[in-house]
Amino acid sequence: MSPAPLLQLRRLVKNYGGVRALRGVDFDLHAGEVHALLGENGAGKSTLIKVVTGAHAPNEGTITIAGEPVSGLTPTSARALGIACIYQQPALFPDLTVAENIGLRLETASATRRVDWKARRERAATLLARIGAAISPDAEVRALSMPEQQLVEIACALGAGARIVIMDEPTASLTQKEQHLLFAVVRELSKSGVGVIYISHRLEEIFDLADRVTVLRDGESVGTHPVGAMNEASLIRLMVGREVAQIYPPSESAAGEVVLALRAVGCAASGVRDVTLEVRAGEILGLAGLVGAGRTELARVLFGLTPADAGDIMLNGRSIALRSPQDAVAHGIAYVPEDRRRHGVVLEMPIAHNMTMAIHRRLFIGAWLRFGAERSLALEFIRDLAVKCAGPDAPGGSLSGGNQQKVSLARWLATKPKLLILDEPTQGVDVGAKSEIHKIVRRLAKEGLGVILISSDLPEVIGMSDRIGVMGGGTLRAILPAKSDPHAVMAAALGTTEKGAA
Amino acid sequence: MKRYFRELSVVAALGAVLLGLAIFAPAFFQPQPLLSLVTREAPTLVVACGMALVIICRQIDISVGSMFSVCSVCAGLLAARGWPLALVLPAAAALGAILGAVNGILVAGLRLPSIVVTLATMVTLRQGLNLVRQGEFVNLPDSVQWFGLSQSAGQWALVVAALALLIALGVAMRHLAIGRFVYAVGTDAEAARLAGIRPQLVTFLVFVFIGVLTGLAAMMNIAQSPQVQPLSGMGLELKVIAAVVVGGVAISGGRGNLWGAFAGLLLLACVAPALTHLHIEAYWEKAIQGAIILLAVVADGVRSRKGGGNT
Amino acid sequence: MNATGKRDWNALLLRHEMLLLYVLVAEWLFFYFAGTTTNRRGVIVGFGTLDRQFDILRHSCEIGLLALALTPVILTAGIDLSVGSLLGLCAILFGKFWHDGGLSIPVAAALALGCGAIGGGLNAALITTLRLPPLIVTLGTYSLFRGLAEAITHGAITYTDFPESFLFLGQERWLGLPTQAWLFLGVAAAVWVLVHRTTFGRSIRAIGFSPEGARYAGLPVNRRLALVYVLAGLIAALAAIIYTARLGQAKADAGTGYELFAITAVVLGGTSIFGGAGSVHGTLLGVAAIAVLKNGLACLPVVMRMNAAEEMSGLLTGALLLLALTVSVLPKILPTLRPKRHAG
Repeated sequence: MSPAPLLQLRRLVKNYGGVRALRGVDFDLHAGEVHALLGENGAGKSTLIKVVTGAHAPNEGTITIAGEPVSGLTPTSARALGIACIYQQPALFPDLTVAENIGLRLETASATRRVDWKARRERAATLLARIGAAISPDAEVRALSMPEQQLVEIACALGAGARIVIMDEPTASLTQKEQHLLFAVVRELSKSGVGVIYISHRLEEIFDLADRVTVLRDGESVGTHPVGAMNEASLIRLMVGREVAQIYPPSESAAGEVVLALRAVGCAASGVRDVTLEVRAGEILGLAGLVGAGRTELARVLFGLTPADAGDIMLNGRSIALRSPQDAVAHGIAYVPEDRRRHGVVLEMPIAHNMTMAIHRRLFIGAWLRFGAERSLALEFIRDLAVKCAGPDAPGGSLSGGNQQKVSLARWLATKPKLLILDEPTQGVDVGAKSEIHKIVRRLAKEGLGVILISSDLPEVIGMSDRIGVMGGGTLRAILPAKSDPHAVMAAALGTTEKGAA
Repeated sequence: MKRYFRELSVVAALGAVLLGLAIFAPAFFQPQPLLSLVTREAPTLVVACGMALVIICRQIDISVGSMFSVCSVCAGLLAARGWPLALVLPAAAALGAILGAVNGILVAGLRLPSIVVTLATMVTLRQGLNLVRQGEFVNLPDSVQWFGLSQSAGQWALVVAALALLIALGVAMRHLAIGRFVYAVGTDAEAARLAGIRPQLVTFLVFVFIGVLTGLAAMMNIAQSPQVQPLSGMGLELKVIAAVVVGGVAISGGRGNLWGAFAGLLLLACVAPALTHLHIEAYWEKAIQGAIILLAVVADGVRSRKGGGNT
Repeated sequence: MNATGKRDWNALLLRHEMLLLYVLVAEWLFFYFAGTTTNRRGVIVGFGTLDRQFDILRHSCEIGLLALALTPVILTAGIDLSVGSLLGLCAILFGKFWHDGGLSIPVAAALALGCGAIGGGLNAALITTLRLPPLIVTLGTYSLFRGLAEAITHGAITYTDFPESFLFLGQERWLGLPTQAWLFLGVAAAVWVLVHRTTFGRSIRAIGFSPEGARYAGLPVNRRLALVYVLAGLIAALAAIIYTARLGQAKADAGTGYELFAITAVVLGGTSIFGGAGSVHGTLLGVAAIAVLKNGLACLPVVMRMNAAEEMSGLLTGALLLLALTVSVLPKILPTLRPKRHAG
């Protein structure tokens, strides 16, 4: 291939607070190549993209573009260097038309220039035609579906004459027909000398499309290989890695009565459909799956944030309606959300206030704040869960990720729930806090709580769960027994047997 | 057609009001009073254009009334000192620009919420003016009224000038890149930043621009009478915000256009004369205006809830 | 780094309240010495007299009540521009119920309070059910309420001749203090307890800091928000009754522009316009600072000669608000400026 690669990353390191998202990644992209980037959720793919597109600055390492070392990359300069990224969630202007969205991206930033609407429309139409998208240039973006918006993004990148195109799970929400069109576009791009970084969880796409594949694991590159030299099994092995190195606390509880039973539960608004499952007291039901598989969406249905519109939800054998989080709390359902900074903890408020936020009615009889009771409860949880903090009055934002997670957990344990839903409880948490959280969860199960553990960390979900539900496309794809083979879980999550549009 | 549904519905409402007046109060359409009515609204139209820009940019400026008064009095004082109109006009615009820049720095530079910033500058300017002028009127030389033209010629000149400004701005908002930048910033400042636009700069410029327009409007106002009233801008902010919101410019930014704001202004301007011509007590004017604003906002709210189901 | 920033913010709030207290004391002492004079007959007049101090208290009750009403609203990161107009409307309705409706004063007052709650309820309904921005909703009701007051009175009618027993509330003293001051202090205590000692106050702070976070904690966000606006309407109606009793008349322009002074007092008192952080005692200090400024200026000989106390105090209040706002965002802005310079 050409002597100087289009893009060369050397020893890239990126830390978020105490979390090391990238730990010295090397990566090369050549002109005319489709280079697949593969890895579990949280392996560092998104961080890598953010660094390359200039959204985040790396802490260490070098970026070389077409032989030229680049420093201080910004979104604007990255764009000028010919780097374009098609995100899963397109960053378009919802109130403006398709033609204008493409125009604003592609035209020069001169403020006084005249806008040639005819040319804008024609260019938009040409670009959209090139990728075979039947979208009117005059349509408002807010009226488009998600895949249509993605096609507009791709048209933008095409129009920008990008040399390096990054596609972050571009097919996640495309139909079969749109997918084939997209593949044709990608092939055409690479033929014309563009380097494509292609991120996808669908292995068959990678074999279909990519020339080389790099696998990331825990922020490190575990190898770059020609696709021809790999097969599904070898790729999965690379992604999953060595056998579970971490010791997970053993299951000690015997499953009791059925706490929660779902019968064909669905929610059209959030894409959950036809989920049937049971959770027993004292049992940890793991939910594995990839990003967008519908796990968080199912949790939101169970917590009343997006109420179900189909099926039956039974708690302790009684059919219940969950129309709001208040309903869920009243029925003893607790949800420790995935995004703890936005949802799990109010960062500005003290730890004690955060911990009692879901038990106002029980703790503060007559709505009267009892600071003493609140403090002793907080202290109890701080001791019990070993929260490292300056004290119950320290604001939630002053804690590390793992300790924030414990605060969020404490808030829900304080409600004495019957069912606890944990959504990625150890994401972005350091190793020590991670194993502490595992022990706590195990102990809770032993005490007779029904636990749903959503996790994208494959060893974790396998090591912790009594049964493993695998989700994909908004529904439950399989229920596997404890200690299943990680490759089997990954295969089920990737849906290698079943292909479907989400 | 669907894209302009909101503007068309305002035009339809305006048409209905005018039709009602034509049937029940044909006196409304006598040329001279009608011209006077339109002339009186000309400065408001100019400020409303600026307000439309500000709201499209997802901000608000409630200090325009005070800026209007300050510019009117200062321009009047300069004219009374014998400055030629050719100098007073740019001076008024420049003063407006400076006042707008203060708002702009506080909002775009310090990222303070525009509602509170302009609330503060509104009261500071108003009370500062009262303090310095003690409510005194400024007597103007004859050359200022109607720019030295005859009354009807002057009236026509003002109306034409205001309409020319509206059309120029309306076209610029559609066909100049900077106009589209305002929409882009109002729709999604972060996406605008990713597209290479500088949202804070655009926001700052929009505030400067409404200042300039307010200065020009103040000139158009003092040209209509032999004296400058120091309280001439009282309540102007509400009137223009109402016009803009009724005209379909979404308070959430990024949507709407100047033509809608124009129709909204005409609709609101017709309320008072329509009330008198239809023998309804004029005291209802403010209440009706408030109800119209709420109606417009509620309609937008219902529409957006039906439309975008995202979060 | 983020963490220390947050702690600084809390510390800053405390410092802010203390600072405001010092400013208030300094302001008061300044006016005490500069605004107190002896007239020709050797009688002490001006700022330093007890009568004047009571006057300050009397005159700050209505704006003080509105500021108390707005504190919970702003704590939820909302705003209510309509309180001044609602004050006017409730004053008129109260006068009409009593004068034209022939109702007794207590019944009329109760009805006026009910109307205030309904007015606040209108704001609440639009803000919570349609998820409209509070700013534009209350801008609309700002116009609507004032307009209704003008429509009811035809812009001209003023209700007067209230019975002495009612005027006692606004013009006399009871147990040594101006009568309405007792009501004001009572409401202040109630709002303080509500904001600082109940789960309601805790919830509205959570909503102000992070509405999504509050929802995920199972807090009834919409109900809390609705209550905040209804409460604001109720207190505005109480302010209307006190206003009427103080002036002995109810007219449509009652309370014009009061919302501005109330917002200024709240922001000056250290409540963040972005929601969450703030206190009722801070608001009370803010009200006091503005009231002392306004009345103190009126006692200064210079200002008396110029006859410009109103304007001067308005000007200074506006400038003070800008200053308080700027100071309040500095801790947020300064860290963001440094990396920006690097990049640019």
